[in-house]
Amino acid sequence: MLLTALVGFLIVFAVLVLLIFVMKAMGWVFTREHKAKVAASAQTAHAHDHAISDQELAAAIITALKLYKSDLHDRESETLTINRITRAYSPWNSKIHGLTQLPERK
Amino acid sequence: MSALLQSSNFIVESLGKFVETAGFTAFFAEGGYKYLIMIAVACFLLWLAIKKQFEPLLLLPIAFGMLLTNLPGAEMFHSDLFAGGKVHWLELYQKGGLIDYLYLGVKLGIYPCLIFVGVGSMTDFGPLIANPKSFLLGAAAQIGIFATFLGAYALGFSPNECGSIGIIGGADGPTSIFLTAKLAPELLGPIAIAAYSYMALVPVIQPPIMKALTTEKERKIRMSQLRQVSKTEKIIFPVVITIIISLLLPSAAPLVGCLMLGNLMKECGVVDRLSKTVQNELMNIVVIFLGISVGATATAESFLNFQTLFILALGIIAFSCGSAGGVLLAKLMNLFVPEGKKINPLIGSAGVSAVPMAARVSQTVGQQYDKSNFLLMHAMGPNVAGVVGSAVAAGILLAFLG
Repeated sequence: MLLTALVGFLIVFAVLVLLIFVMKAMGWVFTREHKAKVAASAQTAHAHDHAISDQELAAAIITALKLYKSDLHDRESETLTINRITRAYSPWNSKIHGLTQLPERK
Repeated sequence: MSALLQSSNFIVESLGKFVETAGFTAFFAEGGYKYLIMIAVACFLLWLAIKKQFEPLLLLPIAFGMLLTNLPGAEMFHSDLFAGGKVHWLELYQKGGLIDYLYLGVKLGIYPCLIFVGVGSMTDFGPLIANPKSFLLGAAAQIGIFATFLGAYALGFSPNECGSIGIIGGADGPTSIFLTAKLAPELLGPIAIAAYSYMALVPVIQPPIMKALTTEKERKIRMSQLRQVSKTEKIIFPVVITIIISLLLPSAAPLVGCLMLGNLMKECGVVDRLSKTVQNELMNIVVIFLGISVGATATAESFLNFQTLFILALGIIAFSCGSAGGVLLAKLMNLFVPEGKKINPLIGSAGVSAVPMAARVSQTVGQQYDKSNFLLMHAMGPNVAGVVGSAVAAGILLAFLG
């Protein structure tokens, strides 16, 4: 029985150690791919930086600001025009008088 | 006059029959007190589930199943239909009731596998993929299974019973039920109750062991940030693990395969409806069926004996050994790694697979010594490795003893 327990435990350990190597190998492949992708995208971004002129950049910023401000103004006016209205009580709009009352048990 | 006498005789006879068939009379028969004890135990478990909220989702149906099976005369469950470790189909067809049919799911190993599909679809293996060394901690925590296996053998249990008792140390309910239904079905009730009770008691059992085996300096160790895991890696992981483990240990294939199927459903992102179904509807339905039928196996004859007490005692030893094994291996690993890559030994105890409770305990104990130290994600690695580890251990025990 001691041998069964020992062999059993060693097999569990061996299987999980094997999985560590598999996962490490998988991780190595994927981190390498990821690093390569990041480096490639950094290079592209760098190239794009040079491609865009300063004037174009300024135009883009101004347009974005303009859109943002106009959007802000519209929302602001919307908020201001909504007023809370309180209606005074009247028997004409009362639900109590409009619905049939349940009979009272005596 | 004679008609009146006849009718009074009929009434007396009917009342006599009614009293004879009523379950209450069984309490006064020989050994009838055992039913009362079992009803009290079932009510106690119901109290634990409802009032103390100890694993209520499972303990409540288990306790109610136990209550139903111990109501004399009701005959809700017929253990003789499954005597000798096999299903007597003809008798089952003739006198089987609802719980007998539900029990088939346990007996044939269907429910634990379906629960594993749900567990897989709720588990994030990201921390394990990011830090594969966590597999070592998950493996070390399985020492509790094999240590208790030997302990049970020393106490006179048969090898098959030893395997079923030892698996409690894996702290994995479905795995315990799966293995016990195959190896020692007569112990299913006590083992399921021990496994789920100790899982609920993780926050009580583990912290003293963790504190006793570590120094304050070790408890304050900060671990480096885990790397980001891509979606492709998460999709490949379940497929690779299923292939490797199933080829190495075919007996572990049902559990590992189902666990990884659930995980693949979650990670691939194209079967959201299926993933949500196995996480919620399927899981809940199976838990109800499993709980009631496992509880129903805890009859007075099978539960009220010294074996049950030994199982409960061995279960806690198994659980404690598993927790200690993970912590000690983490300390051992620290001897061989440079300063910046040290492991906080508190995450070792999460190697027992009570997901995510054991990982939460590591986080809570760690924060008692350093409030800004977040160990949860690091502990999730050994925690999910423990699920895989206990399924592998169950497969090995099944291959050796089954």
